[in-house]
Amino acid sequence: MFEKSLYDLIRGLRNHKGNERVYIQESLKECRREIKSNDMDLKATALMKLTYLEMFGHDMSWASFNVLEVMSSPKYRHKRTAYLAAVQSFRRDTEVLMLAENQLKKDITSPTPTVISLPLMAIPHVINPSMANSVLSDLLPRLNHSHASIRKKTVVTLYRLALVFPETLRPAWPKIKERLLDEGEDPSVTAAIVNVVCELGWRRPQDFLPLAPRLFDLLVEGADNWMKIKIIKLFATLTPLEPRLIKKLLPPLTRLIKETSAMSLLYECINGIIQGGILEAVDGTAEGEEIARLCVGKLREMMEIGDANLKYVALLAFDKIVRSHPHLVSLHQDVILECIDDPDISIRMSALNLVVGMVNSDNLVAIAGRLMRQLRNAPVASSADDPANDRGHHSGFIPAADSDDSDAEESLRQRERKSNQTPPLPEDYRIKVIKRVLEMCSRDTYANISDFDWYIDILVQLVRVSPATRQTSTVEHTEISDFDSRGDVAFDIGQELQNVAVRVRSVRPEAVEAAQSLVLVDRRDQMFPASGNGGQGVLECAGWIVGEYANLLSKPDAVLTSLLHPTNSQLPSRTLAIYLQAIPKVFASISGNEQISWTPERKTIIALLLARIVHFLEPLATHPSLEVQERAVEYLELMRLAAEAASGTATENSSEDFVDPPLLLTQAIPALFTGLELNPVAPGAQRKVPLPKDLDLDTPINPNLHYLLQQADIEAISDADEDNIYQAYNERVGVPIESSITAFERLEGSKSEPSSYQNAIEEEYLDPDIIARRKAERRERYKDDPFYIDPDRDRESGVSTPLHNILKVNNGDELDIDAIPIIDLDLVNKDRGAEQRGREEVARSTAAKQRKLRRGFEIMVDETLEGPEESTASSRDGSRPDLVRSAQARGKKSLLEVDSSGLGALSLEGWGDGNSKLDIERREAEEAEMAKALKEVERLRLEMQRAAERIQAKDGPAEGTLVRRKKKRVKTVKVEGAEEAGEGPKEVEGEGEAVVKKKKKKKAKPEEQEKEEGRNEGEAEEGLVKPKKKKKRRQVVMDESVPEGN
Amino acid sequence: MINAVLVFNNSGQPRLTKFYTQLETSVQQRLISEIFTLVSNRPISSCNFLPLPPLLANTSKSSTPTTPHNDTPSLVTYRHYATLYFIIISTSTESPLALLDLIQVFVEALDRLFENVCELDLIFNFETLHATLGELIVGGVVVETQLEKVVDGVRTQGKVAKRPVNDGKGGLSLGGFGRGDGVWTGR
Repeated sequence: MFEKSLYDLIRGLRNHKGNERVYIQESLKECRREIKSNDMDLKATALMKLTYLEMFGHDMSWASFNVLEVMSSPKYRHKRTAYLAAVQSFRRDTEVLMLAENQLKKDITSPTPTVISLPLMAIPHVINPSMANSVLSDLLPRLNHSHASIRKKTVVTLYRLALVFPETLRPAWPKIKERLLDEGEDPSVTAAIVNVVCELGWRRPQDFLPLAPRLFDLLVEGADNWMKIKIIKLFATLTPLEPRLIKKLLPPLTRLIKETSAMSLLYECINGIIQGGILEAVDGTAEGEEIARLCVGKLREMMEIGDANLKYVALLAFDKIVRSHPHLVSLHQDVILECIDDPDISIRMSALNLVVGMVNSDNLVAIAGRLMRQLRNAPVASSADDPANDRGHHSGFIPAADSDDSDAEESLRQRERKSNQTPPLPEDYRIKVIKRVLEMCSRDTYANISDFDWYIDILVQLVRVSPATRQTSTVEHTEISDFDSRGDVAFDIGQELQNVAVRVRSVRPEAVEAAQSLVLVDRRDQMFPASGNGGQGVLECAGWIVGEYANLLSKPDAVLTSLLHPTNSQLPSRTLAIYLQAIPKVFASISGNEQISWTPERKTIIALLLARIVHFLEPLATHPSLEVQERAVEYLELMRLAAEAASGTATENSSEDFVDPPLLLTQAIPALFTGLELNPVAPGAQRKVPLPKDLDLDTPINPNLHYLLQQADIEAISDADEDNIYQAYNERVGVPIESSITAFERLEGSKSEPSSYQNAIEEEYLDPDIIARRKAERRERYKDDPFYIDPDRDRESGVSTPLHNILKVNNGDELDIDAIPIIDLDLVNKDRGAEQRGREEVARSTAAKQRKLRRGFEIMVDETLEGPEESTASSRDGSRPDLVRSAQARGKKSLLEVDSSGLGALSLEGWGDGNSKLDIERREAEEAEMAKALKEVERLRLEMQRAAERIQAKDGPAEGTLVRRKKKRVKTVKVEGAEEAGEGPKEVEGEGEAVVKKKKKKKAKPEEQEKEEGRNEGEAEEGLVKPKKKKKRRQVVMDESVPEGN
Repeated sequence: MINAVLVFNNSGQPRLTKFYTQLETSVQQRLISEIFTLVSNRPISSCNFLPLPPLLANTSKSSTPTTPHNDTPSLVTYRHYATLYFIIISTSTESPLALLDLIQVFVEALDRLFENVCELDLIFNFETLHATLGELIVGGVVVETQLEKVVDGVRTQGKVAKRPVNDGKGGLSLGGFGRGDGVWTGR
C-alpha cells in the first residue's frame, strides 16, 4: 500500500531535485526491506527499482539471490523483471550462478515462447563454461521450435555458448548449418545465422568455404541489406582461401555497386572488394581496371556528397586501398587532403593515417606544411575537454530526469558551435600528427626529402608545438627520476634531428645550429611551448648533438654556459647524463686549441670555465641516478686535474713569445672525444660482430667484488658530510618561472588564419624567427643570381641607401608574404582540374622516383657487417623501426572485448574423427546404443517369454509385472532375461554382445572396426563377463523374489 | 559483434545500458561518462563515429594488421535524437553505416510502440526499452532488422504502457536528425 512502484521512484527522483542522493539511499533501504518480503509482487517491484538504480551505478550484487527467487516465480511478468535484473547485474563472480542453472534449463523447455526467449536472451550475459555444457542439451532442440523468433535467438545463444566453451559448437554446428541450408526457413532466422556465421567466419574461414554456394544465393536473391552486408564481409575473408570465388563474386558485386541506393550496402561492396583482395586478383585485366575505377569513383562521390559519415567511411576505404594501389588513391588527393583540415576530429584522424601512405617527394612539403599549420594555429585543448578529467569520472551519475522540459528543437540548436573558430586539438591528436609528420618525412631513410634545411626547420617548429608530457613533476627530491623520455614525442623529434645530423653531412652545421638553439637556456622561452613542459624530451638528443659536433657550434661559450646552468640539475636523469657527457666535449673544443698562445687572459678564462664546471659537477656526484653519478664523478676528477694543470702552467710574459698551453687541455682531453666519426649502425649489426675467441665472460674480474661493495656501503654510511647528501636529496634548486608568451606573439598567432586550403604557405606553419632566417639564407644563396627578384631590394629601388637596407634586414620584416619562393611549381597548377592534376601527379611521381634526391644530399645508410641476414626486414630496407613502433605485443584484453580466440583452435571439419569427439556427444552415442541394445534384449525377452508361455502353463508372470520391470534399471531387465532364457544359445549370444559393448563404452575405447569382432568376442569373452553377471544376478534374484513372493 | 548499446540524454544521464560482456559497475559508469564527454563535445556537423574513449583506446592498440578482424571493440557509432544519444560500441565485423541504420530502426520501433516517443516514455518504461533492444540484438549479435517484426516481438510480451498523463512533451523527432538522412537508407 505504501510501497513505491518504479513509477513512484522515478517521480520521487524528479521531485527531489538537488538532494537525489539522500532520496536514493532511502529508496535503496526500502528496496532491501521489500525484497525480503514473501509477496512476490513486492519482491519483483523492488527488483525492478534496483535494476533501474543499477543503471546509475548503484550496486545491486547483494540482491543476486533474490533475483533467482523472482526468476522462479510462475508469472511471466516477474520472470521478465528477474531476467532483466540478472542480465544487468550478474558479474563473473556472482556466486548464485550455479543455482541459476536449473531455472534456466527449466525455462528453456517451457511451452510458452515468450518464456523461452527470456533465458535465451539472458544466457549470453551470464554463461560460464561449466554451465555451457549442461545447458546445451536443452538448447539444441529449440533450433527446431515452431516460432522463428525462438529459433533465431537460439542460434545466437549457441554462438555465445561456443565463445565460452568452444566444444559446444561441435554438436550445434551441424544443426545450425541445416537451418541455414534450409531454403524454406524464415528469412530473419537465416539472417541471424548469417550474422553468426560472419562472426565465426573470420576466425576459421576455411571451415565455411563449403557454405559458399548457399551464401552466394542469399547474396543474389536476398532482400535484407543487413544480411547482404554480412555476407559480403564474410566473403571478404573467404576469397583469399578460394580464388575461384572472385570470378563468381565480381558480377553481383559490380551490379550491387551500380544499382543499389543503400549507401551502406554500396560501401560494404567496395570494402569487400578491397578487403577480399579482389582488386589485386583481377589487377591487370580490363575487368580489373574497370572495377577499380568504379570503386574509387564511387568513393570519391561519397566524399563529395558532403555527408560527414560518408566522408569518414570513404577515408577508411581509401586507407585500405592505399597500401596496394597508391596510384589510384593519389588520383584523388585533392579531396583527401581537404579532410586533413576537417573540423571533425574523427575525419581528420583517418585522413591523417591515409595521407602518410600517399606521401611522395612531390607532395611531402605541402602535406607536412598543412599539418604543421594545424598544430601551430589550433589552441591547445583545455583539460576540461579531456575525457579523463571528466566530472562523471569520480562521482558517477545521479539520476535526475531534468531534460523533459527542454524542447527538442532548442536542444539541437544549442549544441551548434561557431564554425569559424578552430576547435582545440586534443593532445593525443597532436602527438599523432607530430609522429605522422616524422614518419612521412623519415620514410625510407629520407627518400622523399629534397630539402633538409626545410626539414630541420620543421623539426624545430615541431618542438614548439609539442604537447606537455603527462609525467610532469618527475624530478622530486629523493626519488630516482626514472622519467622515461622515450615515450615522449619530443624525444622522437630529437631523434630525428640527431639522425639528420649524423646521416646528412652536408646539413650537419644547420642541424647543430638547431640543436644549439634548443639547448641555449636564454632562448628557451622562444624554442619551447609557452606553457607546460612540452618538448623537453628533445634536449636529450640536442645535448648529444652539441657535444658530438662541438667544433661546429657558433656559440660554444653560450652553449657551455647553458649546459652548466644550475636549473639543469632538475632535468630528467637521462638528459642530465647526456649533458654531462656534452660538457667536457664542448669544453675541449673551446680550450683545446694549441695554436693560440697561453696568455694570462686565456689562462683566466680557462680557469674560470673549469671552476664553473667543477661547481656544476660537484653536487651531481651524489645524484640518485647511478649513470649521472658515475659520469659526474669521472669528469669531476678530470676537470680538477685540468684545473691544476691550467693553474700550474706559466703564461707568456710578453706578447712575442709563444707559450704552449698545457698538454692535458690540448691533447689529452680532446683525444677522449675525437678520433673516428660516429656513423649510423643498422639494427642487428651488433649481433653479427664475431665473438672474439679469447673472450672469457665467465671468470669474475674481481672475485672479491661482493666484499668490496659491502665495504663501500659501510664507508658511505660513516661519511662525515651527511649534510651534503641531505641537501642534494632534499633541497630543490630554484626553478625559473616559465615566462609566458608575449601579447604580441599572441596577436600574431590569432592573426594568421589559413587563407587558402589549396597550398600551405610557410608563413602559416613556421614561426616568424625561423622564416626570417630562411629568408636571409635564401637571399644569401641567390645573391648573385640575376633572375632572383629580391622583394626587399625591389621595393626599395627608389631609396637604395645600403645603410637603410641593412637596418631593414636586421629588423627582420618577417610578415612579408612576397617572400614565397618563386620556384614553387605547385602554385601554378592549382587551378586545373583534379583529374588532370592527379594524372600529372602520377607521372611526376614516377619521374621523381627516377631522379630521387635531386639536390644531391648524401644520406648515410646504416652500417652493417656482411653476414647471414638474420635481422628483420626492417633493417634490410633501411626503414627505421624506432619510428614505426608498432605495439606488437598483445596487451591485456580490451575492456568490452568478447574473447573468441578459443574458437580459433576448434576445427569444425574434423567432425567425423573418432578421437576428437567430445564427451557429450560420446555420451549421447553411448546412450543411443545402449537404448538399442536394451530394446533388443527386451524383444528377445518377450519372445522367450512368449515361448515359455506356450510351453508352460498359465501360471507364468503376469503382464503387469513385466511393464513395471521395463522401467527398472538396465541390469535388472537384462539379467532377468538371461535368467529366464535359460541356456538358449541364440539368446545368450545377443545378450553377451550387449554386455560387452557396454563395458567397452565405459572404458571409452569404441572402435568401429571392432564391431565385427564384437560378435565373436562376445562369445569368447563371455567367460570374463560371467562373474560380474553372477553378482548382479544374485541381486536381481533377491529383487525378483519380492514380487514373486507376493 | 556489438559490445555495448548505450542510451543517455543530453546531460549524460543514462537511460539504457546494455553491455554484452560482464563489466564492473564502476567501469561501466566510467565508460559512459567518457563517451558522453566525447559525444557532447562534437560539433553538430561532424560524423557519427567517435574516436575510441580512453578506456578502450589504451588496449586497442594491440590490433595486428595481419588479420582483417579481431575481437577488440574498434567502432563507436552514435546518433543524436532530440534529447537522447544512442550509442553502439562494436568490433570491426559490423558495418559502420549499417549500424547507423540499426539505431534508426531501434528508434523507429520505439516510436511505433509508444506513439511519438519521447525521453520520458523511455524513463518510465525502461523494461520495454530493454525488451525492444532484446528483439533487435541478442548477445551482441543482431537478430532482426525488420521494423515490423521488432514491434510485433515486443507486443507479444505484453501490453506496452502509455506514458503518464501530463508528463509528455515533444517526441524524439525522428526526421530531425539532420543532414544526410535521406541519402542512405540502407535497411
